[in-house]
Amino acid sequence: MKSFLDISKIDVTFPTPKGEFTALKEVDLQIQKGEFVSLIGHSGCGKSTVLNVIAGLVQAKNGGVILNQREVNEPGPERAVVFQNHSLLPWLTAYQNVELAVKQVFGKSKSPAETKEWIEHNLKLVYMDHAMQKRPDEMSGGMKQRIGIARALAMQPEVLLMDEPFGALDALTRAHLQDSLMEIQDELKNTVVMITHDVDEAVLLSDRIVMMTNGPAATVGEILDVDLPRPRDRLALANDPHYNHLRSEVLTFLYEKQAKVQPVKAKKKPSVVSTNSHVA
Amino acid sequence: MLSLRKLIVAAACTLAVSATADELGYPEKEELTFGFIKLTDMAPIAVAYENGYFEDEGLYVTIEAQANWKVLLDGVVTGRLDGAHMLAGQPIAATIGYGTKANIITPFSMDLNGNGITVSNDVWEKMKKHIPKQADGKPVHPIKADALKPVVEEIHAAGKPFNMGMVFPVSTHNYELRYWLAAGGLHPGYYAPHKGDTSGQLDADVLLSVTPPPQMPSTLEAGTISGYCVGEPWNQQAVFKGIGVPVVTDYEIWKNNPEKVFGITEEFAEKYPNTTIRLVRAMIRAAKWLDENDNANRPAAVKILSQSNYVGADYDVIANSMTGTFEYEKGDKRSVPDFNVFFRYNATFPYYSDAIWYLTQMRRWGQISEDKPDSWYKDIAAKVYRPDLYQKAAESLIEEKLVSASEFPDFATEDGFRPPQTHFIDNIVYDGKAPNAYINKFAIGLKKGDKL
Amino acid sequence: MNALIQRFTGAAESGESLPLQALAILKQVALPVLGIAAFLLLWGLLAKQVDTSLGSFPGPASVAEQVKNLYQEHVAERAKADAFYERQEKRNADRVAKDPNYVPKVRAYTGKETFLDQIGTSLVTVMSGFLLAASFAIPLGIAVGLSKPLNEAINPIIQIFKPVSPLAWLPLVTMVVSALYVSDDPFFAKSFVNSVITVMLCCIWPMVINTSIGVSSVNSDWVNVGKVLRLSPLKNIQKIVLPASIPAIFTGMRMSLGIAWMVLIAAEMLAQNPGLGKFIWDEFQNGSSSSLSRIMTAVLVIGVIGFLLDRGMLMIQRWVSWDKSQAAR
Repeated sequence: MKSFLDISKIDVTFPTPKGEFTALKEVDLQIQKGEFVSLIGHSGCGKSTVLNVIAGLVQAKNGGVILNQREVNEPGPERAVVFQNHSLLPWLTAYQNVELAVKQVFGKSKSPAETKEWIEHNLKLVYMDHAMQKRPDEMSGGMKQRIGIARALAMQPEVLLMDEPFGALDALTRAHLQDSLMEIQDELKNTVVMITHDVDEAVLLSDRIVMMTNGPAATVGEILDVDLPRPRDRLALANDPHYNHLRSEVLTFLYEKQAKVQPVKAKKKPSVVSTNSHVA
Repeated sequence: MLSLRKLIVAAACTLAVSATADELGYPEKEELTFGFIKLTDMAPIAVAYENGYFEDEGLYVTIEAQANWKVLLDGVVTGRLDGAHMLAGQPIAATIGYGTKANIITPFSMDLNGNGITVSNDVWEKMKKHIPKQADGKPVHPIKADALKPVVEEIHAAGKPFNMGMVFPVSTHNYELRYWLAAGGLHPGYYAPHKGDTSGQLDADVLLSVTPPPQMPSTLEAGTISGYCVGEPWNQQAVFKGIGVPVVTDYEIWKNNPEKVFGITEEFAEKYPNTTIRLVRAMIRAAKWLDENDNANRPAAVKILSQSNYVGADYDVIANSMTGTFEYEKGDKRSVPDFNVFFRYNATFPYYSDAIWYLTQMRRWGQISEDKPDSWYKDIAAKVYRPDLYQKAAESLIEEKLVSASEFPDFATEDGFRPPQTHFIDNIVYDGKAPNAYINKFAIGLKKGDKL
Repeated sequence: MNALIQRFTGAAESGESLPLQALAILKQVALPVLGIAAFLLLWGLLAKQVDTSLGSFPGPASVAEQVKNLYQEHVAERAKADAFYERQEKRNADRVAKDPNYVPKVRAYTGKETFLDQIGTSLVTVMSGFLLAASFAIPLGIAVGLSKPLNEAINPIIQIFKPVSPLAWLPLVTMVVSALYVSDDPFFAKSFVNSVITVMLCCIWPMVINTSIGVSSVNSDWVNVGKVLRLSPLKNIQKIVLPASIPAIFTGMRMSLGIAWMVLIAAEMLAQNPGLGKFIWDEFQNGSSSSLSRIMTAVLVIGVIGFLLDRGMLMIQRWVSWDKSQAAR
């Protein structure tokens, strides 16, 4: 079975004054269309590098990434990235930030009216239609991140890459955004790869959790299927034993097993949990 | 019918134009820029402007102060300036290729006299002992460099050099200062351009160096030089500032010596003949106005010169020399009615003999490193000094009754040589027709056959 | 002013008592005034102590008098100019009457530049040199900032030319301009071209350096945004690099304008090019009893103009730049 996004045995090295540093070693991961996958691991384990390889911002030394039967070798809007620090352009308003992306991706294929409608639609999706004319420095961190998500969604990417999107936010704001994200995901059924270091976030949002070993030469440690039914409710799940079991699995990996590099070994059969998974 | 009328009008116009413009047409170039150095002897240019003489000729002239003589000369050579107030030696030196080589000509001589030699207070105190006194206790004039000689010897004995400033290597001031020093037995130094030595300090008792005129007082004040030779108002300025004492004027070194000239390029005169004649006309009128009725207009002239865009020094400072007096030691103000002569004694006529005197001094001090025949002196003088242009301007003014013929040399007989001149501080007679013989008369200086 | 109003309303909202607000305003206005007053007093006292050969050093009173004189001279010169044009018109009319084929030409006034004219000349010159420098420096800075190899090739040249004084350039500029800029009826005066080029050569470097630093240090997230959006190189510069570097570019521009103004005065002094520098030099050469106070007047005017130029740039920066925190100072 061919997967939608195939990360096959990638090695990533960086040159340093002391010689080559091997960041990733034989990272291998297959993701199906519509699947929400989280990458979790301690800081410095190379989670972001994996994401950057998928995004095309970092080139793998060996191995490669195939998305929808095309090899990835440079960045592109079909792999939209939501960056950790929102990375909105501060000289543009919320609307203009999204507009830049929309015009670049859809160009002449949308009429001005359609463009405008599409931008507004995406901003509405993240509940930011009231702040369209605000500049980033007039917005809170959560608002900025919402715009960042809207910008990424507006590109209609084949895969949405999120690099610790809520990492810099306070707990309450983070919860709000997670809920919004789930809501959007229910509607759009995007393929998502998300980096996180938050165990609850990973379990709450993901279909699968990819646990990374510590670097150097980090690789995929274990993969956990999160077979909780959707829509998920954070309050209800708080007392759900299965939820807590999944949570403790991740915690065990992170705090007991993480010291050793282990070969790729799936905890359960790597099947697709998501109901709407098809090979394109 | 119409065309006939047009024809008549046109004919009438041609007639009217030719009546006035037959001998002198409209200027070919009307907008001109003239350069000057802040010295009172630039007065003819300022007066020609302020009194509207330039405009009467249809010339629109901008007058610009220049930083120093080199900048001014380069300005004329490059065409940034159309003409300028120049040291008499500059057009000559440019023509023979000493310094910048260029064909600069002089259709108009700007003035006679007007320079002085000033020494610092220190030097003056030491000199004073050696100067004979008049009945009233004031020093006898002219003061000769004989009085400076023991002072220089004293300073040399102390192992120090004696420095003086002049304004340019080919300036009147350089030659006058040298003349005065040499007449008093002090060697001012030779030039040896063929050996690349243009410092003019070979064998020198007194080391001469170049300082732009307006900076003379401050350079003296700073102690870099112990004296200088410069035009006005910079000698009188030293008296007013109390930093130095003028000891001698060039009038006393050589009575009615030619001083500044108006210089233009030969190319300019050829390209714009009418403009050339017209600007000479304007300046002849200005010079006449400056000397009219026994210097009656001088106070008005001083007022013009004291404007910041001309000389810019205080009225009193300029007035001192311009109105016929000269203050030596503070309080010792003497009458020198001919200190500045702009028109009398044919001051504005470009005499060949004046040019030749400069050439003799260039030879005397080695700027011309080889012997030249007398004919060469005459040829160079005739190339630079252009009495022909002057004559055209003067004659047209006479015709328009703006001046009278008696104020000029008799053009019919004038050969461009003044009669042998006797009024030098060392009593040596100068005859422009025999330059080599003249050079041989000096005790200090290169003579025929000498080569450094 | 804005700050003042804000402070005022802010204080009202927070319920501060009126005397406190008054005190705040007083502080903002009174302290600078006090500082200036103290300076004037000290200046006035010390000036009298310094005796030069042109009289004592000018105090505030003599400078104030010269300000008045210079203005009056300006007015008088304008009157002379009017008379000049009138005479010219008449002369032209006369000539046309005699010679109908003559096409009269109005020539500009040939009299002296007044102090105010010279201020104008200096301002025009400095802005021309500065804008010319900016038009070279900013594209060059962007190119250097974007390309590491270019940066490494050009950096040594920049580092060598950056510390060169205008006075060193001037003779070369003068000679080159007179050699290359030949025209019978030049649109710009040679002296103007000399000044502009000298100013340009001296103020181009801070702009190149700051622009290149700004461009090369664009936030990597924004660079990645550009990459993900697959912006074309030109669009990348237009949409990401240029706006992101605006604060750095403006910092360079402000430095450059300051240098340009200083350089211009020196160049005008040395080359006798029209402007405030020439005014000072001429007055120094004149050595009249009012020269020192006129020079002092020019010194103050140069200072005030330099200050206003910097404020002006700051205002433009505030208006143009997205980074308001940088423009605050």
